[in-house]
Amino acid sequence: MTDQEAQLKLQAFMDGELSVRETSEVRDLLERNPEARALLAELRNTKAALAGNEAECRLPESREFFWSKIEREIQRSSRPARPVVSQSWFAWFRRHLLPVSGIALVSCLLALAALRSGGSSAQMGEMELNADDMSSYTYRDQQQKITMVWLSDRNEDSQFTEKSGLASVTSE
Amino acid sequence: MKLKPDHSSASDEQLVEAAKDGDMGAFEELVARHRDKIYARAFSMMRNEDEALDLSQEAWVKSWQRLKQFQGESSFGTWMTRIVINLCLDQLRRRKRQRTESIEEMDEESGGVERQMPVVNVNPTEGLERGELRKRIDHALGQLSHEHRTVLVLHEFEEMEYKEIARTMGCSIGTVMSRLFYARRKMAALLASLKTEDSK
Repeated sequence: MTDQEAQLKLQAFMDGELSVRETSEVRDLLERNPEARALLAELRNTKAALAGNEAECRLPESREFFWSKIEREIQRSSRPARPVVSQSWFAWFRRHLLPVSGIALVSCLLALAALRSGGSSAQMGEMELNADDMSSYTYRDQQQKITMVWLSDRNEDSQFTEKSGLASVTSE
Repeated sequence: MKLKPDHSSASDEQLVEAAKDGDMGAFEELVARHRDKIYARAFSMMRNEDEALDLSQEAWVKSWQRLKQFQGESSFGTWMTRIVINLCLDQLRRRKRQRTESIEEMDEESGGVERQMPVVNVNPTEGLERGELRKRIDHALGQLSHEHRTVLVLHEFEEMEYKEIARTMGCSIGTVMSRLFYARRKMAALLASLKTEDSK
Protein backbone atom coordinates (compact mmCIF):
# COMPACT_ATOMS: atom_id res chain seq x y z
CA MET A 1 0.00 0.00 0.00
CA THR A 2 1.98 2.98 -1.26
CA ASP A 3 -0.68 5.53 -2.03
CA GLN A 4 0.17 8.42 0.29
CA GLU A 5 -3.34 9.81 0.34
CA ALA A 6 -4.77 6.42 1.31
CA GLN A 7 -2.22 6.03 4.09
CA LEU A 8 -2.98 9.44 5.54
CA LYS A 9 -6.71 8.72 5.31
CA LEU A 10 -6.14 5.49 7.19
CA GLN A 11 -4.46 7.47 9.95
CA ALA A 12 -7.21 10.08 9.96
CA PHE A 13 -9.76 7.25 10.16
CA MET A 14 -8.04 5.98 13.31
CA ASP A 15 -7.96 9.50 14.79
CA GLY A 16 -11.65 10.08 14.02
CA GLU A 17 -10.90 12.98 11.71
CA LEU A 18 -12.79 11.80 8.60
CA SER A 19 -16.22 12.70 7.30
CA VAL A 20 -18.91 10.00 7.13
CA ARG A 21 -18.34 9.50 3.41
CA GLU A 22 -14.55 9.19 3.76
CA THR A 23 -14.96 6.81 6.71
CA SER A 24 -16.99 4.44 4.59
CA GLU A 25 -14.35 4.64 1.80
CA VAL A 26 -11.64 3.61 4.26
CA ARG A 27 -13.78 0.76 5.59
CA ASP A 28 -14.08 -0.55 2.03
CA LEU A 29 -10.32 -0.29 1.59
CA LEU A 30 -9.67 -2.19 4.80
CA GLU A 31 -11.99 -5.02 3.74
CA ARG A 32 -10.18 -5.67 0.52
CA ASN A 33 -6.56 -4.72 1.34
CA PRO A 34 -4.55 -6.77 3.91
CA GLU A 35 -1.63 -4.27 3.75
CA ALA A 36 -3.96 -1.50 4.82
CA ARG A 37 -5.14 -3.63 7.72
CA ALA A 38 -1.53 -4.35 8.79
CA LEU A 39 -0.63 -0.66 8.63
CA LEU A 40 -3.69 0.30 10.63
CA ALA A 41 -2.76 -2.30 13.28
CA GLU A 42 0.73 -0.80 13.53
CA LEU A 43 -0.64 2.73 13.87
CA ARG A 44 -3.08 1.57 16.55
CA ASN A 45 -0.32 -0.19 18.51
CA THR A 46 1.79 2.96 18.52
CA LYS A 47 -1.12 5.15 19.52
CA ALA A 48 -2.06 2.77 22.34
CA ALA A 49 1.55 2.58 23.56
CA LEU A 50 1.79 6.36 23.77
CA ALA A 51 -1.57 6.93 25.45
CA GLY A 52 -0.96 7.89 29.07
CA ASN A 53 2.65 6.80 28.92
CA GLU A 54 4.50 10.05 28.70
CA ALA A 55 7.64 9.91 30.82
CA GLU A 56 7.24 11.60 34.19
CA CYS A 57 9.37 14.67 34.52
CA ARG A 58 9.77 16.89 37.56
CA LEU A 59 11.10 20.40 37.66
CA PRO A 60 14.66 20.14 38.99
CA GLU A 61 14.40 23.15 41.34
CA SER A 62 12.78 23.64 44.72
CA ARG A 63 9.43 25.38 44.96
CA GLU A 64 10.95 28.35 46.79
CA PHE A 65 13.85 28.86 44.42
CA PHE A 66 11.75 28.54 41.28
CA TRP A 67 9.15 30.94 42.65
CA SER A 68 11.80 33.46 43.72
CA LYS A 69 13.02 33.67 40.11
CA ILE A 70 9.51 34.15 38.79
CA GLU A 71 8.65 36.73 41.43
CA ARG A 72 11.82 38.69 40.70
CA GLU A 73 11.10 38.67 36.98
CA ILE A 74 7.49 39.76 37.52
CA GLN A 75 8.62 42.65 39.71
CA ARG A 76 11.29 43.64 37.23
CA SER A 77 8.90 43.60 34.29
CA SER A 78 6.16 45.48 36.15
CA ARG A 79 8.49 48.27 37.25
CA PRO A 80 7.55 51.44 35.37
CA ALA A 81 10.04 52.59 32.82
CA ARG A 82 12.33 55.40 34.02
CA PRO A 83 10.71 58.69 33.07
CA VAL A 84 12.65 60.82 30.65
CA VAL A 85 13.84 63.83 32.64
CA SER A 86 13.33 67.04 30.76
CA GLN A 87 16.75 68.61 30.47
CA SER A 88 16.91 72.15 31.69
CA TRP A 89 19.35 74.66 30.17
CA PHE A 90 21.47 74.49 33.29
CA ALA A 91 21.59 70.69 33.28
CA TRP A 92 22.64 70.72 29.64
CA PHE A 93 25.32 73.34 30.40
CA ARG A 94 26.56 71.40 33.39
CA ARG A 95 26.71 68.16 31.45
CA HIS A 96 28.31 69.36 28.23
CA LEU A 97 29.76 72.84 28.44
CA LEU A 98 31.24 72.78 31.91
CA PRO A 99 33.77 69.99 31.28
CA VAL A 100 34.71 71.51 27.92
CA SER A 101 35.15 74.95 29.52
CA GLY A 102 37.30 73.44 32.24
CA ILE A 103 39.58 71.71 29.74
CA ALA A 104 39.85 74.93 27.68
CA LEU A 105 40.76 76.95 30.77
CA VAL A 106 43.47 74.52 31.85
CA SER A 107 44.84 74.47 28.28
CA CYS A 108 44.99 78.29 28.21
CA LEU A 109 46.81 78.44 31.54
CA LEU A 110 49.35 75.84 30.41
CA ALA A 111 49.95 77.70 27.14
CA LEU A 112 50.38 80.97 29.03
CA ALA A 113 52.87 79.41 31.44
CA ALA A 114 54.82 77.95 28.50
CA LEU A 115 55.04 81.36 26.79
CA ARG A 116 56.26 83.03 29.96
CA SER A 117 58.99 80.45 30.45
CA GLY A 118 60.76 81.90 27.40
CA GLY A 119 60.20 79.50 24.60
CA SER A 120 61.42 76.36 26.36
CA SER A 121 57.98 74.88 26.27
CA ALA A 122 58.90 72.36 23.60
CA GLN A 123 61.61 70.92 25.78
CA MET A 124 59.33 70.87 28.78
CA GLY A 125 56.70 69.08 26.81
CA GLU A 126 59.11 66.29 25.90
CA MET A 127 60.39 65.67 29.43
CA GLU A 128 59.89 62.13 30.64
CA LEU A 129 61.47 61.49 33.98
CA ASN A 130 61.95 58.32 35.87
CA ALA A 131 61.27 58.83 39.57
CA ASP A 132 64.27 56.65 40.52
CA ASP A 133 66.68 59.02 38.72
CA MET A 134 65.39 62.14 40.38
CA SER A 135 66.04 63.69 43.74
CA SER A 136 64.52 66.82 45.20
CA TYR A 137 65.37 69.26 47.96
CA THR A 138 62.96 71.61 49.59
CA TYR A 139 63.95 74.85 51.30
CA ARG A 140 61.56 76.93 53.30
CA ASP A 141 62.29 80.45 54.49
CA GLN A 142 59.87 81.34 57.27
CA GLN A 143 60.81 85.05 57.26
CA GLN A 144 60.42 85.52 53.54
CA LYS A 145 57.57 83.06 53.50
CA ILE A 146 59.02 81.28 50.48
CA THR A 147 59.23 77.57 49.66
CA MET A 148 61.79 76.45 47.04
CA VAL A 149 61.88 72.98 45.47
CA TRP A 150 65.21 72.00 43.85
CA LEU A 151 65.17 69.01 41.45
CA SER A 152 68.33 67.21 40.34
CA ASP A 153 69.08 64.29 37.98
CA ARG A 154 71.36 61.55 39.39
CA ASN A 155 71.86 59.84 36.04
CA GLU A 156 75.20 60.63 34.40
CA ASP A 157 73.79 59.93 30.91
CA SER A 158 70.99 62.31 31.38
CA GLN A 159 69.57 63.78 28.21
CA PHE A 160 69.10 67.08 29.96
CA THR A 161 71.68 69.70 29.32
CA GLU A 162 71.51 70.85 32.91
CA LYS A 163 71.74 68.19 35.56
CA SER A 164 69.66 70.12 38.04
CA GLY A 165 67.35 73.08 38.26
CA LEU A 166 64.88 75.03 40.31
CA ALA A 167 61.50 73.45 39.88
CA SER A 168 59.29 75.87 41.71
CA VAL A 169 59.22 78.84 44.00
CA THR A 170 56.07 79.38 45.97
CA SER A 171 55.46 82.45 48.05
CA GLU A 172 52.67 82.59 50.60
CA MET B 1 0.26 41.44 62.32
CA LYS B 2 -1.52 40.41 59.15
CA LEU B 3 -1.53 36.64 58.57
CA LYS B 4 -0.84 35.29 55.11
CA PRO B 5 -3.99 33.61 53.73
CA ASP B 6 -3.81 29.84 53.30
CA HIS B 7 -4.16 29.14 49.59
CA SER B 8 -3.55 25.41 49.66
CA SER B 9 -7.21 24.53 50.05
CA ALA B 10 -8.49 26.94 47.39
CA SER B 11 -9.49 25.74 43.94
CA ASP B 12 -7.62 26.82 40.82
CA GLU B 13 -10.52 29.07 39.86
CA GLN B 14 -10.45 30.82 43.24
CA LEU B 15 -6.70 31.25 43.03
CA VAL B 16 -6.95 32.69 39.53
CA GLU B 17 -9.53 35.24 40.68
CA ALA B 18 -7.37 36.22 43.65
CA ALA B 19 -4.29 36.46 41.44
CA LYS B 20 -6.19 38.68 39.01
CA ASP B 21 -6.69 41.06 41.94
CA GLY B 22 -2.94 41.13 42.46
CA ASP B 23 -2.58 38.40 45.09
CA MET B 24 0.94 37.07 44.48
CA GLY B 25 0.46 34.37 47.13
CA ALA B 26 -2.42 32.91 45.14
CA PHE B 27 -0.33 32.94 42.00
CA GLU B 28 2.55 31.25 43.80
CA GLU B 29 0.17 28.43 44.76
CA LEU B 30 -0.85 28.04 41.10
CA VAL B 31 2.81 27.86 40.12
CA ALA B 32 3.46 25.21 42.77
CA ARG B 33 0.52 23.12 41.55
CA HIS B 34 1.28 23.17 37.86
CA ARG B 35 5.01 23.76 37.63
CA ASP B 36 5.94 20.11 37.01
CA LYS B 37 3.44 19.70 34.20
CA ILE B 38 4.51 22.93 32.51
CA TYR B 39 8.17 22.05 32.82
CA ALA B 40 7.51 18.52 31.52
CA ARG B 41 5.78 19.88 28.45
CA ALA B 42 8.64 22.28 27.75
CA PHE B 43 11.14 19.47 28.22
CA SER B 44 9.24 17.08 25.96
CA MET B 45 9.42 19.65 23.18
CA MET B 46 12.92 21.03 23.70
CA ARG B 47 14.71 17.94 25.09
CA ASN B 48 17.02 20.25 27.00
CA GLU B 49 16.82 20.88 30.74
CA ASP B 50 18.12 24.47 30.73
CA GLU B 51 15.91 25.59 27.86
CA ALA B 52 12.91 23.87 29.43
CA LEU B 53 13.57 25.65 32.73
CA ASP B 54 13.96 29.07 31.09
CA LEU B 55 10.88 28.64 28.93
CA SER B 56 8.69 27.37 31.74
CA GLN B 57 9.78 30.33 33.89
CA GLU B 58 9.03 32.70 31.01
CA ALA B 59 5.62 31.05 30.60
CA TRP B 60 4.76 31.77 34.24
CA VAL B 61 5.81 35.41 33.96
CA LYS B 62 3.74 35.77 30.76
CA SER B 63 0.74 34.15 32.38
CA TRP B 64 0.88 36.65 35.26
CA GLN B 65 0.96 39.50 32.76
CA ARG B 66 -1.94 38.06 30.75
CA LEU B 67 -4.00 36.71 33.61
CA LYS B 68 -6.76 39.24 33.00
CA GLN B 69 -7.23 37.72 29.52
CA PHE B 70 -7.94 34.28 30.97
CA GLN B 71 -11.71 33.93 30.95
CA GLY B 72 -11.92 30.30 32.06
CA GLU B 73 -12.96 28.74 28.72
CA SER B 74 -10.50 25.95 29.50
CA SER B 75 -8.87 24.89 32.75
CA PHE B 76 -6.02 27.03 34.06
CA GLY B 77 -3.62 24.11 33.50
CA THR B 78 -4.62 23.82 29.83
CA TRP B 79 -4.29 27.59 29.35
CA MET B 80 -0.83 27.54 30.90
CA THR B 81 0.20 24.57 28.78
CA ARG B 82 -0.79 26.46 25.62
CA ILE B 83 1.39 29.37 26.70
CA VAL B 84 4.45 27.19 27.22
CA ILE B 85 3.82 25.31 23.96
CA ASN B 86 3.71 28.60 22.04
CA LEU B 87 6.94 29.77 23.68
CA CYS B 88 8.63 26.47 22.80
CA LEU B 89 7.42 26.73 19.19
CA ASP B 90 8.74 30.30 18.94
CA GLN B 91 12.09 29.11 20.25
CA LEU B 92 12.17 26.19 17.80
CA ARG B 93 11.33 28.53 14.92
CA ARG B 94 14.16 30.85 15.89
CA ARG B 95 16.50 27.90 16.06
CA LYS B 96 15.27 26.56 12.72
CA ARG B 97 16.03 29.84 11.02
CA GLN B 98 19.61 29.53 12.19
CA ARG B 99 20.27 26.00 11.00
CA THR B 100 20.25 24.21 7.70
CA GLU B 101 17.53 21.83 6.65
CA SER B 102 17.46 18.59 8.56
CA ILE B 103 17.40 15.19 6.90
CA GLU B 104 13.86 14.69 8.13
CA GLU B 105 12.69 17.84 6.39
CA MET B 106 14.32 16.76 3.17
CA ASP B 107 12.60 13.39 3.48
CA GLU B 108 9.31 15.05 4.04
CA GLU B 109 9.64 17.23 0.99
CA SER B 110 10.90 14.46 -1.26
CA GLY B 111 8.07 12.12 -0.40
CA GLY B 112 9.44 10.69 2.85
CA VAL B 113 10.99 7.39 3.77
CA GLU B 114 8.08 6.41 6.00
CA ARG B 115 6.18 4.93 3.10
CA GLN B 116 9.02 2.54 2.36
CA MET B 117 9.30 1.37 5.98
CA PRO B 118 8.16 -2.21 6.50
CA VAL B 119 5.06 -2.53 8.66
CA VAL B 120 5.79 -3.62 12.23
CA ASN B 121 3.55 -6.64 12.61
CA VAL B 122 4.05 -7.34 16.29
CA ASN B 123 3.24 -5.03 19.15
CA PRO B 124 6.70 -3.91 20.31
CA THR B 125 5.48 -2.75 23.69
CA GLU B 126 3.45 -5.81 24.63
CA GLY B 127 4.27 -7.25 28.03
CA LEU B 128 6.40 -4.33 29.14
CA GLU B 129 5.82 -2.91 32.59
CA ARG B 130 4.77 0.74 32.66
CA GLY B 131 8.04 2.20 33.90
CA GLU B 132 10.02 0.42 31.19
CA LEU B 133 7.46 1.37 28.54
CA ARG B 134 7.67 5.05 29.50
CA LYS B 135 11.44 4.91 29.40
CA ARG B 136 11.43 3.42 25.91
CA ILE B 137 8.86 5.89 24.63
CA ASP B 138 10.91 8.75 26.01
CA HIS B 139 14.05 7.38 24.39
CA ALA B 140 12.29 6.94 21.03
CA LEU B 141 10.77 10.45 21.21
CA GLY B 142 14.27 11.79 21.68
CA GLN B 143 15.25 10.30 18.31
CA LEU B 144 12.64 12.28 16.39
CA SER B 145 13.15 15.72 14.88
CA HIS B 146 11.56 18.65 16.72
CA GLU B 147 8.84 18.98 14.09
CA HIS B 148 7.78 15.33 14.27
CA ARG B 149 8.05 15.12 18.03
CA THR B 150 6.00 18.29 18.50
CA VAL B 151 3.15 17.00 16.33
CA LEU B 152 3.15 13.70 18.19
CA VAL B 153 3.23 15.37 21.61
CA LEU B 154 0.42 17.77 20.72
CA HIS B 155 -1.75 15.01 19.29
CA GLU B 156 -1.10 12.14 21.70
CA PHE B 157 -0.38 13.91 24.97
CA GLU B 158 -2.24 17.20 24.60
CA GLU B 159 -5.04 15.51 22.63
CA MET B 160 -5.27 18.30 20.08
CA GLU B 161 -7.12 17.80 16.81
CA TYR B 162 -5.37 18.22 13.45
CA LYS B 163 -6.89 21.66 12.93
CA GLU B 164 -5.75 22.92 16.32
CA ILE B 165 -2.22 21.59 15.80
CA ALA B 166 -2.05 23.26 12.39
CA ARG B 167 -3.14 26.57 13.91
CA THR B 168 -0.70 26.27 16.81
CA MET B 169 2.23 25.31 14.61
CA GLY B 170 1.36 27.67 11.79
CA CYS B 171 1.25 25.02 9.06
CA SER B 172 -1.38 23.27 6.93
CA ILE B 173 -3.51 20.33 8.09
CA GLY B 174 -1.85 18.27 5.33
CA THR B 175 1.57 18.95 6.87
CA VAL B 176 0.27 17.96 10.29
CA MET B 177 -1.08 14.66 8.90
CA SER B 178 2.12 13.94 7.04
CA ARG B 179 4.35 14.72 10.04
CA LEU B 180 2.14 12.72 12.39
CA PHE B 181 2.21 9.74 10.06
CA TYR B 182 5.98 9.84 9.78
CA ALA B 183 6.40 10.29 13.54
CA ARG B 184 4.17 7.30 14.33
CA ARG B 185 5.87 5.04 11.83
CA LYS B 186 9.28 6.06 13.07
CA MET B 187 8.19 5.47 16.68
CA ALA B 188 6.93 1.98 15.75
CA ALA B 189 10.27 1.17 14.12
CA LEU B 190 12.28 2.55 17.05
CA LEU B 191 10.23 0.67 19.64
CA ALA B 192 10.53 -2.51 17.58
CA SER B 193 14.30 -2.12 17.36
CA LEU B 194 14.49 -1.76 21.16
CA LYS B 195 12.50 -4.98 21.52
CA THR B 196 14.86 -6.74 19.09
CA GLU B 197 17.87 -5.55 21.10
CA ASP B 198 16.27 -6.98 24.23
CA SER B 199 15.72 -10.41 22.72
CA LYS B 200 19.37 -10.74 21.63
